[in-house]
Parts: sequence; C-alpha cells; structure tokens
Amino acid sequence: MSKELQIILVDDNDIDIVVNSKLLKLANFSQNISSFNSGRDVIDFLGDSESQITDKQNILLLDIQMPIMGGFECLDKIMELSPAIQESLMVFMLSSSIDRNDIERAEKNPAVLKVLEKPLDVYLLKRLVEANA
Amino acid sequence: MGTDKNKINILYLDDEENNLTSFKASFRREFKVFTTTSASEAVQILTENDIHVVISDQKMPNISGVEFFELIIPDFPDPIRMLLTGYADIEAVIDSINKGQVYRYISKPWNEQELRITINNAFELFDSKRQLQLKNQELEKAYNELEKLVYSASHDLRAPLVSILGILKLARAEGVDGAAKEYLAMIEKTVGKLDLFVQNLINYHQNMKNGQLLANVNFDLIFDEIITNYRHFDGANEVRFIKDIKADGDFNLDEMRLKMVLNNFISNAVKFRDRTKPDPFIKLNVETEADNIVITCEDNGIGIEKELIPRIYDMFYRITEDNNGSGIGLYIAKEAAERMGGSIEVESNIGSGSKFVIIIPKN
Repeated sequence: MSKELQIILVDDNDIDIVVNSKLLKLANFSQNISSFNSGRDVIDFLGDSESQITDKQNILLLDIQMPIMGGFECLDKIMELSPAIQESLMVFMLSSSIDRNDIERAEKNPAVLKVLEKPLDVYLLKRLVEANA
Repeated sequence: MGTDKNKINILYLDDEENNLTSFKASFRREFKVFTTTSASEAVQILTENDIHVVISDQKMPNISGVEFFELIIPDFPDPIRMLLTGYADIEAVIDSINKGQVYRYISKPWNEQELRITINNAFELFDSKRQLQLKNQELEKAYNELEKLVYSASHDLRAPLVSILGILKLARAEGVDGAAKEYLAMIEKTVGKLDLFVQNLINYHQNMKNGQLLANVNFDLIFDEIITNYRHFDGANEVRFIKDIKADGDFNLDEMRLKMVLNNFISNAVKFRDRTKPDPFIKLNVETEADNIVITCEDNGIGIEKELIPRIYDMFYRITEDNNGSGIGLYIAKEAAERMGGSIEVESNIGSGSKFVIIIPKN
C-alpha cells in the first residue's frame, strides 16, 4: 500500500474506542487513529477535511448501534460525500452481536467490506485490509 | 367483533321471492335473517354486516350459487357457506365442494327442523374458527414480543461483555505480571463463559430466521478467527491447532451459520481435551467430495461414551458435570447445519478422541 493508513473509529462507547485504538496501535497496524463518538461528528470531519482524507487510505470502523445516527444511517450520509472521499474509504461495520439483518444490509451496500464482531480482532482486520487493498 | 350466540346472522340469496319469504317466516325469530334476490346486494350485505352463515340457491338466472361463493371467498372467507338446490345435480355438488368450499349441501324443499340444526352446526363451526383465529393472533403477538425481548436482551447483554473482553485483551497485549495476571485470567474465564451463553442465546435466535446469507468463504480466515477467539480461553494454549484445507475454489456459504457450527466444534474440542495426554491437538480439515464440502474437526480428547452420542444434540443436554456449558451448543450447531442444507456427523471413542464432521452442499 503506497498511501498512508489512517484509521477512523466511530463508536458511542468510550471504552471500546480506547480499547480498539490501543489494540490497533499495539499491533502496529497504524499510529494514525482518529476517533468519533457519533455519526454526525465523523460526517462533519470527513466533509470538512477532504484534502487530509483523500491523500490517505482510510479504514473506517463504524459501530452499528449508536444513538441518534446509527452506523447504517451514517453510511448513507457518507454516500452523499464526494466520490474522492468515498474512494479513499474502506468501511467495516462493527457490532457487539452480529444480526442477520445487519449482514443483509451490509451486503447490499458495496462500500462495506464486512461486518465484524467486537471485540475487534486486529489480526483479522489486517488480513481483510490486505486482501482488499 | 362480538358474536352473540343467540343472534346468528344469516344471509340467504335466492332468485325466488317465495323461498325467501318462507325462510324468513320460519327463522326470523331465532336468527337475524338477511335475504336478497340479487348477488350484488348480497355482497353489499356481507360488507355491512357480520354475517356468520351464507345460504345460496344454486340455480339462479344471472349467477349460480357456486359462482357466487367463488366470488365472495376472497373478501369474505369466514362465513360458513351452504348450497341449496332442487336438483340432484352431481356436477353442482362437486363444484360446490371444490370451488365453492361449502360446508353443507341442502336439498329443496328443505325440512325446517333439519335446516335449523344445520344452521346451528354451521354457526358453531364459524364460532370455533373465529375463536381459533383470535387465539392464533394472541399467540403470534406473544411470540413476536418474546422474540423482541430475547433479541434486545441478548444484544444489550453482550455489548458490556464485549467491552470487558476488549479491556482484558488490551491488558494482555500490554503485559500484566504477577497476581494481577492471574486475576485477569480468572475474570476472562468467567466473562468468557457468560459471553458464550449470551452468544448461544443470540445464535439460537438468529438460527430461527429462514433463508441463507451466502458469502464467499475463506476457510483459513474463519479457522484463524475462531482459534484466536479461543486461544486465551481456559487452557486452549495447551492445544495444538492443525489446519489442512484441501478445497480450492470459491464457496458461497452461509458464513454466520458455518461459524456457529465451527465455533461449537472447536470450543467443545478445547473443553474436552485430554489433560493427561502430552500433545492435545485439534485438527481442522476441509475437503470437497462430489457435491459437498466436508469440514472435519478431529481431536485426541477424552471422547464420548457410545451410549451418550445420540443424545448430544438434545437441547440443554450435558454429558459431564464438571463443565459449565449450558448444553445448547450442539443443538444450535445441528440446527444451523440443517438450515444450510447440510448435516452433522460424529465419531467418538472414549479415551482416544472425537471427530465432528459437517457436510454442506456446495451450492
């Protein structure tokens, strides 16, 4: 991968954010990690800092169950952003328990690479990213 | 809709006014009688009233009785239908049963007492059908509510468990020493057990849903994912995992259900490893044969007694006292395999180990 990796964590649970970002750092996956507590915040971030996004390969880890704006709704909003932003994103949905309806929904959305179960398996994520690079 | 036993609502359609009049004269005191000579008016009456029994003459100029029944069945399936005819018309009888789905066939001229009994019987049938419908609706509502409760309870239970497991994972990755390490391992073991139970609850619930969610399956990745899950659970680090994947090509399988089955095989193999053996192993093997994919999980664990093997799939059946499983795992695994169109087989010998096999059709 030529572009720098940036990981974007979106989760309303602060503990999960801390745990996942530390696990990703410890596994030397990437030191560049941004985190957001809500779908709205990440949409604002992506929209406002397009140039910092598009020059990187972004891995978006999006929690499904969040208040106000859930993961899938957030994904719909991402689809409204510029194509350059969308192309720079690899999206994984995260959930503490995978639901068949969520998998079906994710499969219909070409931007989603996979629905992953928490706690995050960094090694699995790494292999999936490599396979889809 | 309240049905008053004393007031049976009857609709009677006949082109002969005389019949309608004499019917009304005979029955109007006991039943609420609606009569008409026109089929369209009969439909109108059905729309505006809660009709329990419909009687129709067969031979009418514009529409036959059977045709009238065929017409009303889609919109008014509940009222009990009875056909009235003066002819020994076998054709009409056959049609009335097959197309008009009638309850009784009444020949003209009718016997008042017999007809009274027939009408009462028809109403009883109507009433019991309606009661059954109501009970079914109540049951369906209760089932849906229970399902929702299981769904939200299991999801809400798992979220905090997952956070705890994440913290433990992090603590292990960052390195903890001494007594703390031991305590964390105990917490992990306990939380893991609880999590397994909650996951089984979720899996059971998910399994009930019909249809398959097919995805291109990478066996190596799935094995690694599951092995990583169990790596830190209660002695799994003593177990040597061997992967042997001899299946080339793309396989579209229901990954979620496949994982339910393999999770189960592997967790059982870890749980029931033989602690007296120097080299406990779990061998995972994938092969294709004709139209099937055959995945085997073989171990050199303690094995299962021959007599107990037929019972291992029973819900909540546990073969040992000293392991704190819930006994639902293999029940779910079997259910999942069957919903993938496949099956599970087991071979086991006490002392030498077990071999669990799932056979799934390629397509």
